[in-house]
Amino acid sequence: MITSRRAFLKTAALGGASLVVAFDTRRLLGAGKEAGQFKPNGWVRVNADGTVTLTIGKSEMGQGVRTSLAMILAEELEADWSRIKLVQASPGPEFKRLGTGGSFSLAGSWKTLRQAGAAAREMLITAAAARWKVDRAACSAANGEVVHTASKRSLKYAALVADAAKLPVPADPPLKKASDFRLIGKPTKRIDGRDIVTGAARYGIDIKLPKMLYASIERPPWRGAKPKRSQDAKALAIRGVQLVPCAGGIAVVGETTWATLKGRAALAVEWEDPPKDAFDSEAHFMRLDEASQQKGFSTRKDDAPAGSHAAVRTIYASYFYPFYAHAPVETMNCVADVREDHCIIWAPTQAPNSLQDEVAKFLGTTPEKVEVNVTLIGGGFGRRLAVDYALEAAEISRAVKAPVQVLWTRTDDMRQGHFQAASVHRLSAGLDSADALVAWRHTKAGSLHNLELPDPTALRDAAFFQDLSWGVYDVPYVIPSIETAYVTVDLPVRHGPWRAVFAPSSVFAREAFIDEVAHVRGSDPFAFRLELLKGPDTVKAGSLTIDRRRLRRVLEVVREKSDWSAAVAVRHGRGVACNVYDGATHIAYVVDVAVDDAGKVRVERVVAAVDCGLVVNPTGVEQQIEGGIMWGISSALMGEITFRGGAAQQASYADYGVAQMRDTPAIEVHIVPSEAAQPFGMGEPPVPPIAPAIVNAIFAATGKRIRRLPIRPEDLKAV
Amino acid sequence: MSEIRLTINGAKRTVSVDDDTPLVWVLRDTLALTGTKFGCGMGVCGSCTILENGQAVRSCQIPASEAKGRNFVTIEALSRDASHPCQRAWLEEDVAQCGFCQPGMILTACGLLRDHPDPTDEEIDAALSDSICRCGTYPRMRKAIRRAAATLRTQKK
Repeated sequence: MITSRRAFLKTAALGGASLVVAFDTRRLLGAGKEAGQFKPNGWVRVNADGTVTLTIGKSEMGQGVRTSLAMILAEELEADWSRIKLVQASPGPEFKRLGTGGSFSLAGSWKTLRQAGAAAREMLITAAAARWKVDRAACSAANGEVVHTASKRSLKYAALVADAAKLPVPADPPLKKASDFRLIGKPTKRIDGRDIVTGAARYGIDIKLPKMLYASIERPPWRGAKPKRSQDAKALAIRGVQLVPCAGGIAVVGETTWATLKGRAALAVEWEDPPKDAFDSEAHFMRLDEASQQKGFSTRKDDAPAGSHAAVRTIYASYFYPFYAHAPVETMNCVADVREDHCIIWAPTQAPNSLQDEVAKFLGTTPEKVEVNVTLIGGGFGRRLAVDYALEAAEISRAVKAPVQVLWTRTDDMRQGHFQAASVHRLSAGLDSADALVAWRHTKAGSLHNLELPDPTALRDAAFFQDLSWGVYDVPYVIPSIETAYVTVDLPVRHGPWRAVFAPSSVFAREAFIDEVAHVRGSDPFAFRLELLKGPDTVKAGSLTIDRRRLRRVLEVVREKSDWSAAVAVRHGRGVACNVYDGATHIAYVVDVAVDDAGKVRVERVVAAVDCGLVVNPTGVEQQIEGGIMWGISSALMGEITFRGGAAQQASYADYGVAQMRDTPAIEVHIVPSEAAQPFGMGEPPVPPIAPAIVNAIFAATGKRIRRLPIRPEDLKAV
Repeated sequence: MSEIRLTINGAKRTVSVDDDTPLVWVLRDTLALTGTKFGCGMGVCGSCTILENGQAVRSCQIPASEAKGRNFVTIEALSRDASHPCQRAWLEEDVAQCGFCQPGMILTACGLLRDHPDPTDEEIDAALSDSICRCGTYPRMRKAIRRAAATLRTQKK
């Protein structure tokens, strides 16, 4: 039973990573089975041809894991980076909990992969020393070979394969000192970059099996809708088209993608009208607004110490955060080939093992009868933690007794998503007679955006609600009295994890409201934050420890690098925001905006500083910051999903805007050296602080306080 | 169904498809050239971009019947070895994240540089209008386009 998202993702890390593994080499990336290989564990295989095959246990969806995880393995293995091949892990006896999310790939894999690489290295050194009959302590490994310095002898790993394979696998091999790292910490290019720029990279949508059919599903626009009429004969008149009723709606199956799409258009399903009380996002906002003023489930309560000053005035604000779609460019898709006694799946998925389990359950078989091949993913962002597309493919393949590719259209993807849930945040700040911030209240009204409903006992568990309140309860600031709470509001449309999950809405509200408090006091919002971060270096909030010292440091870096106090032009403004993501990654932004007379906002510059622990690939860190900033610009300034009559209204990038080249600011990334001995996540942390930094900059530019996303030009017109 | 003759990546091809089949599906399903991506089918994302006489065109917007007799280049043939200045620039600037939109982006850049050897920021913005990278690789794409432009200008001298 999944009790909380964090528990799920943390156990989804590596599944214990047993060190004795036999695995199927018939997987992606063309690693072939070769005679004579040394395979001490599931992660590393040294081949007799001098290459090394590394297993990637995380789904590659743009976060660069195929490169960064390979770097960790190759570092400890002392492998030759130019002779690396990769295989993608599939669920099986050796990989029982594959899953990619929560910005947890590096933190969760770090120790296991180092040990796996080091074990292989130690065995190769032992094999060489035995061959030379020398003391193994006098031997060392580097760049794919073992060296005996005294006698100037060396042996390539390939020559040691047979001998090393006979040795016992050390359980606790020595790990390299950070000062000896050759790969980790060096800017490293994507290991699969060439495939991408030549079009050779294969994503889920690119999988073609012999005799494969194509399916497109017409789904009800609102939950429970029944078809009123459809033109079945017209659809069936298209050569090869068949209609297959399925759990999700009506599947149109054809021999080519185009025949299938034409069949679906010809079918012209008319759905019954929605009931009067069908889901409506504006009405939902009113419910959320009301709920945010209730008491809720307490997620943090710091009582003011005795002798603290009482608040003499209190300011209030409510912040509104809308629904968003993931909108990856590769729409949902999956290939399934259901046979009599087994099933083969090719899926761009973040959740290979839950996919295997769910498909097995659906087919009434056991997981080992379902082979799951994980492809490259054309954008995940949390959407592909759900496995609905795989269940659809399995259902239709079983019905038509052929391999089937289910492909969602852009409009399917936009309207039938697992949306980022809307929320409303009610905040108040109490100031004492000297204008010191002495009380902070933040109640989030939102929905349980886990993929499945939790164990009912979890609903009495503070940790569960704290998970839903990242950015709310983990306030980093020193305030004598802090009370935060969560109110659950039912949400009858599909929703689920989205890049940075629960944090973006909460950090938007917190970091914008802190700005409001600063302005009410007449203080500089930057100086006010630094003031509020004085005091004890760390603070406990739930299971997280917030390191104020690290947060102060990233703030100080962006203050200096952005020239915070420099003058700005009319209708230009500068804003700041910061956050500690999951108690791990510390980020601060300074954003410069220009607001034209029509109210259109342009983000001109973003200066970022991050402390994400030990950096494996600085290039990857920079890319994730840039991408996270663009993601945040999209949600601050562009598309939102709205519902009328139970149905999502947006159909494509034409009416759900996302950032384009013309929206791109100048971006400066400063990676702040960290004392942490391990890496922390970077996929999600860059997202939350960008929207509040933008609205804070807009306030500086126009004097108008934006409390609802996305920002609308009509609210910012010059008078 | 019609027999449609066209030239793809320098080779004459004859495909038997419905007249209204968008070229993106002829390339992907019939000719197995999956480097050309499907992202929207309505011309708003740019993933299916290919080249015709060096100009970037969206293959989802060209029905097979209109592709007759025309000559197109897909990402697979921009170079066989990633040696085209745009591909090299993309690798040098570490542009790609998930990579899905990048073939379309690279070919869009090729089209831009044919007409604007030294593009301004505004020309880059305009050329990449309605070209969607959800990972947000735009800052690096801009640098890669400038780098490729410089290489192409040097080659011409």
